[in-house]
Amino acid sequence: MDRYNDFSVEDFVWDDFFRQWTLSPTSETDALWDDWIDANPEMLEKVEQAKAIVLSLRLHEPEIDDSEINQVVKQTVGRITEANEDSARAPRRLVPAFSIPWMQFAAAVALIMLMGWAVYSVMIKREEKPELSQQDSVIEPNGAMTEKTNSTSQTIELALSDGSKISLAPKGRIRYPERFDGERREVFLEGEAFFDITKDPQHPFLVYANGLVTKVLGTSFRIKAYGNSREVTVEVKTGKVAVFAQSDPHLKEKVADKQLQGVVLTPNQKIIYARNEVKMVKTLVEKPEMVVSKAEIPQFEFEDTPASEVFNTIARAYGIDILYDEALLRDCPLTARLDNQTLHDKLSIICKAVESSYEIVDGQVIIHSKGCRN
Amino acid sequence: MNSTSPFSEDRVLWQDFLAGEVRAFEKLMSDNFRLLFRYGSKFSKDRELVKDSIQDLFLVLWEKRDNLNPDAAVKPYLMASLRRLMHRQVSSRTWVGGEALQEEDDYFEIEFSVEDDYIRNEATHSRTHHLQKLINALPRRQKEVVYLKFFQELSREQIAEVMGVSPQTVSNLLQIAIRHLKTHWKAEFLIFFLLHFLF
Repeated sequence: MDRYNDFSVEDFVWDDFFRQWTLSPTSETDALWDDWIDANPEMLEKVEQAKAIVLSLRLHEPEIDDSEINQVVKQTVGRITEANEDSARAPRRLVPAFSIPWMQFAAAVALIMLMGWAVYSVMIKREEKPELSQQDSVIEPNGAMTEKTNSTSQTIELALSDGSKISLAPKGRIRYPERFDGERREVFLEGEAFFDITKDPQHPFLVYANGLVTKVLGTSFRIKAYGNSREVTVEVKTGKVAVFAQSDPHLKEKVADKQLQGVVLTPNQKIIYARNEVKMVKTLVEKPEMVVSKAEIPQFEFEDTPASEVFNTIARAYGIDILYDEALLRDCPLTARLDNQTLHDKLSIICKAVESSYEIVDGQVIIHSKGCRN
Repeated sequence: MNSTSPFSEDRVLWQDFLAGEVRAFEKLMSDNFRLLFRYGSKFSKDRELVKDSIQDLFLVLWEKRDNLNPDAAVKPYLMASLRRLMHRQVSSRTWVGGEALQEEDDYFEIEFSVEDDYIRNEATHSRTHHLQKLINALPRRQKEVVYLKFFQELSREQIAEVMGVSPQTVSNLLQIAIRHLKTHWKAEFLIFFLLHFLF
């Protein structure tokens, strides 16, 4: 609080924490500010004045009453349900687009751009094609490389010389050596593929995709690296995976090291790598699956079980970290059957029951709770 | 924490909306209507236009629901979409009409009222009224940032999303606006004080 010692009235008025206290005080902030004012009695007048200003300067918002809102909402809901019923018979007519003058203009512009693109793609695109192999600076291509493009509408299975399997999604493109004989196993991907890699700690397996390097010793995971998307995602199914940017200053060491360096992902975690921002966000995959074998799947039936124990059971089954305040949740008993829900549904139900909420930060689940002892 | 972490309720509602549940559509729209109406009114005084725009916004979102981000932060996303939609409407009218309605694009109207109940002395009274005038006189974008930050309590990142600018730009705008408010306010206050004592 010392930073407030030489605040002026103006400074207080625009200070977040001060405003928060003034507009929605809690017992904690009241105590904090009262103590501070006791210690700095000369500030009392400024505080009083700033408080009066913050409270009195109200934004004059246009009013709309509930019945008016209700009417618009009902009307809109009517339009969408009607549209749902109609959609089988006729395409929905929202706005007669080309009757709007600027739409005609926009259409003309679009047409010109399309023609320009067509010319461009015929003349220039051809030269760009071989980028898949040239994007790498680390690689010394030894031996013959094979390139496969999946132009079918189904996923195709590829077997590599080390026994690893790759499922290449439609439109995906992959380049790999016919035989892995170097220290490392390296492949290049554009598009989406699922990898099931044979374990070989002496020969790390690396996937280069849109500026992101994914390094594993033996595991299964999925990479999505579409050419037109700014993001690369890596989702781990089993084992451990390390990822780092190809622009990483320590790229050479990270590639060469037999250990996994960089951001390490464990099952059910995924990373989103935004190419233009060079930042990685670790989170959970959309539909986390249990990592334990079928026989080991626990009974998700709880009767007066402390919520902390319930979270532990779930964390073990999904191989993820769930962080919570042990002391608070020990006193929150839970009775529920949760064997058919997804992870997110399970968490939502539990949180609802014990009046908490959860969020996913850095690939972990964090439970916010006030506890159940009133 | 329950009320501050929008995860459980807003997020679930949004995902139900994306899954095509009419009930979720209805709740999402009525829950956010007042907020959007107030925000939209900053761009146009025409109540009916604002209401229509919100309706259009939800119809468009419903049509596009298969392609929307399930992890979007709902409130800022809705505000940003409404802002874009209304700007487009205003500028398309300018195009078609051929009239120079340029200034409409710069429209961002906020009205403050001073509730005198809280004010005990005259100095505070005049300071508050003066501050009100200064805020109203800020350039449009600065005014919008001040509004979103202090009166809608959005974070820097959320404001950036709503206004379609970088978080750094938000910080800059905010800093310029607050510095302007503080310095002018101080000067004016000094004059007031001097006058008060001299005469």
